[in-house]
Amino acid sequence: MSATALATAAPPDPPIAAPPPRRCDSSASWRLSDRLGLAVAWALGLFFCAITAAIVIYLLLEGLKYVSPHLLVTHPTAGFSESQTGGFLDPMIGTAIVALIAMAIALPVGISTAVWLSEFGRPTALARIVESTVEMLAGTPSIVLALFGAIVFESPVLGFLSQTTNHIVLGRSFFAAGAMLSLVGLPLVVSSVREGLQAIPSHVREASYAVGKSKTATTRRVLLPAARPSVITGAMLALGRVIGDTAIILVLLGSTLNLAGAGGAPLLSTLRGQGSTMTSYIYDNAPTGEGNQPEKAYAAAFVLLVIVLVLNVVVDFTGRRARRLQWS
Amino acid sequence: MQEEIPLEGGSGWSQDQRAELVLGALVCLVVCLLAAMLAFVLHEAWPSFSHNGLSWFGNGGSVDNQIQAIFTSGDVKGAPVYTFHAWPLLWSTIIITGAAVLIAFVSSLFVAVFVVEFAPDWLKRVLEPVVRLLASVPSVVYGLLGVLILVPLIGNDLITQQEKVSVNPTIQLSGYGLLAAVLVLTVMIAPIMIAVFADGLRAVPRNWLEGSLALGINQWRTFWHVAVRTARPALIAGTVLATARALGESVMLSMVSGGVGFAPNPADGLIFFFEPSRGLASTILFNTEELDSPPMKHTLYAIAAVLLFSAVMLSFTGWAAKQPMKRYGMVA
Amino acid sequence: MRSTTRRLALLATVLGVLALPATAAARQVLIGSGSSAEQPILNVLFKAYSKLHRSIAFVYTPNGGNAGVKDVQSGRSAFAVNTRPPLPSDSGTTQYKLYLDGLCVAVNPANSLANLSVNTTKNIFLGLSTSWSGIPGSNLSTTIDPIGRNSTAGSYTFFQSAILGGKTQASNVIPQTSDGLVATAIKNDANAIGYVGLAHAGSGSGIKPLTLNGVACNATTIKNETYPLFRYIWGVLPTAHPSVAAERFLDWLRTDHNAGRIIARAGAVPAFNK
Repeated sequence: MSATALATAAPPDPPIAAPPPRRCDSSASWRLSDRLGLAVAWALGLFFCAITAAIVIYLLLEGLKYVSPHLLVTHPTAGFSESQTGGFLDPMIGTAIVALIAMAIALPVGISTAVWLSEFGRPTALARIVESTVEMLAGTPSIVLALFGAIVFESPVLGFLSQTTNHIVLGRSFFAAGAMLSLVGLPLVVSSVREGLQAIPSHVREASYAVGKSKTATTRRVLLPAARPSVITGAMLALGRVIGDTAIILVLLGSTLNLAGAGGAPLLSTLRGQGSTMTSYIYDNAPTGEGNQPEKAYAAAFVLLVIVLVLNVVVDFTGRRARRLQWS
Repeated sequence: MQEEIPLEGGSGWSQDQRAELVLGALVCLVVCLLAAMLAFVLHEAWPSFSHNGLSWFGNGGSVDNQIQAIFTSGDVKGAPVYTFHAWPLLWSTIIITGAAVLIAFVSSLFVAVFVVEFAPDWLKRVLEPVVRLLASVPSVVYGLLGVLILVPLIGNDLITQQEKVSVNPTIQLSGYGLLAAVLVLTVMIAPIMIAVFADGLRAVPRNWLEGSLALGINQWRTFWHVAVRTARPALIAGTVLATARALGESVMLSMVSGGVGFAPNPADGLIFFFEPSRGLASTILFNTEELDSPPMKHTLYAIAAVLLFSAVMLSFTGWAAKQPMKRYGMVA
Repeated sequence: MRSTTRRLALLATVLGVLALPATAAARQVLIGSGSSAEQPILNVLFKAYSKLHRSIAFVYTPNGGNAGVKDVQSGRSAFAVNTRPPLPSDSGTTQYKLYLDGLCVAVNPANSLANLSVNTTKNIFLGLSTSWSGIPGSNLSTTIDPIGRNSTAGSYTFFQSAILGGKTQASNVIPQTSDGLVATAIKNDANAIGYVGLAHAGSGSGIKPLTLNGVACNATTIKNETYPLFRYIWGVLPTAHPSVAAERFLDWLRTDHNAGRIIARAGAVPAFNK
């Protein structure tokens, strides 16, 4: 080979993209304890799926006779047998209203608290108190929150939030129930968002400060978007807890058959009035409740689960577009 | 805790200081609201505690009889009776919550590891909404499934006639008991744990895991010893949330745990797992109807105060457990 | 751009929610509360009454008989429905007998027992009789599993005074929080025995009601008060300034034929409606 031949040789091939990382070792080569661990993880994971599937299928089978689209759009009425008692449109609307009010309060307050705890958090004693208070909320039975809410909302000061007859405030309304339910969901939001914010390494924050961003801007533009999966987890857990509550609905919403508005204005009268949710509907009509309509109760439970599943899938799909960023 | 970066120039409140003030005010509002609730509950609970002193937490006679005496005295407008020894209720809450959290912790950890690392991609996408779906099932439905499926299964197939005769007529063994309560409660709190654990495990920096893999450590050990160890603050947060949920669960437990104020005795051997009992939160639910009779009201609020206090203690335990991890630079 | 879409979404939600049906503002709303066990019957009665008197709408909260009475005392409810007789703590209210109901003692269909004396029932629920082999008429020889109600329930208070002679039920009785739960417990356990309201012991319930002292548990025996465990359901009104509309409703409930028919169909027993 002459030097000129080398010089005019074809340029080296362009670098091939690195192949995707392969897990080269199959578990057959591992120690017994590791293989056991993997087996247990697989077994429990599949068992978990099986339990969920079993619950959903059981509810479906039990309510199948009565699960029909007409149930979703008919108002419940009083009657003697299942065929006469209408559907569960009002409980569905009730669930939606109550969930909206509760999340509209719990999400902003929860995210703000989590941001304060993780980004500011001074004085330290106050931070400790806030943490303990939020976790105390998580451990309160909802019946206690309901009783406390009854006292608060029956006071004349908050009379505009519910019905008032002869200067006696009723104290039961969607506002009252939604407000106390937001307290039920708050700890889940705070905990989740805080974990998400704390998982972001400090060099990300330092990089943002280094280019001159203030702490507020950093939080809004860098940290919260990066912690979005945690926010979604917290929001969905809180929503699940809010939808599934019975005690607060019974005490603060009245658990009536239909939506019963209070006053004239269309929107406000519904929110100030009473109603029921899917969960209290299921509670009343289950074989273990007072109103003897088990098939409707199973149908309602199945519909509720399907709605929650669809909501979760939709939120997952749209919200997780920002895949968790690689910090390395 | 990040240090305040000093900003040059400007006078008066900077944007950060304003934000800190606003957020701090909001947070103080929340604390004030909850402090008001705590104060209200303690104020209502005080007569019951002051009448019983420390024996409120002790053992002494049938707690069910005491409850009946309390609200009867309020109904007939005689002298109010406050005698109450809540040990059977406390013990039931401790056992059921403790056992459920223990079982749920171990299984949730494995399931979370599975969901984050070892499941095939399609299964991962399915499992995430499924976990949150289970967290959204109302406790009434869990109670229903427990009563209709689990309780008859235990009562008819697992409990033998000799066992029933041996404890009659003190208690009835019929499926309503510790085993059913712990199993259903575990399934109830596991989704919360799994969701929080999975989030924590996913936040572990990828290059740490790849570094470990590059050293030749197999995938299982890498994940178990590196990722799980790093995610310990998330494990603690998830456990605290799930324990708090278990403490406050009343509806489902009132349906499957047996309803009698009896303190299960571990010395009974196998029978211990079937013994009926009633926890603190379920007791509140059982007696809510009598809330307006003053002695009963004070007793129920005393029970609520104990629950609130244990939630605060739980929070402190979680904080204390996270403290040693601060050494390694983990923000806890 | 993002904020405009957000505003549009907000507007759409508000309009959508505004379109929710609002109840006619011209109607008078009667607020009631009380027993949750009677809510199914009451809901049908409300519907029938509203059809006759289109200006009256009802809102009923099933928060328990005792809480209902307290609501009437404080003025929050116009009327209440209660399943236990008046107590000294119910001052400030007037109570009216509305209709009849009974507690049936029931066993699992696998149990061949058909009749029970009041004394034997008392012994079972006080923990003195513990085995089915000691009860004549039963084909089982296993332990008895008594199921009861929680101590604050009206049914339990009534059972206690009528059968147990004022004593509390034994610790081997599993208390449940509703009649439906008692019926479910009996249905799933061959050795169980418990007491439920008349409406839960019907032919489709899966449990077998017993005759007590030879008297069957049905509408006839309850009406002529020969069945030992009959009780009245009470309506509660405030003594001072009761609502006229509420009074009229309770009168209609007690005396109208149609109301009587509805009560009978729902599983209770009309008392004064011939």
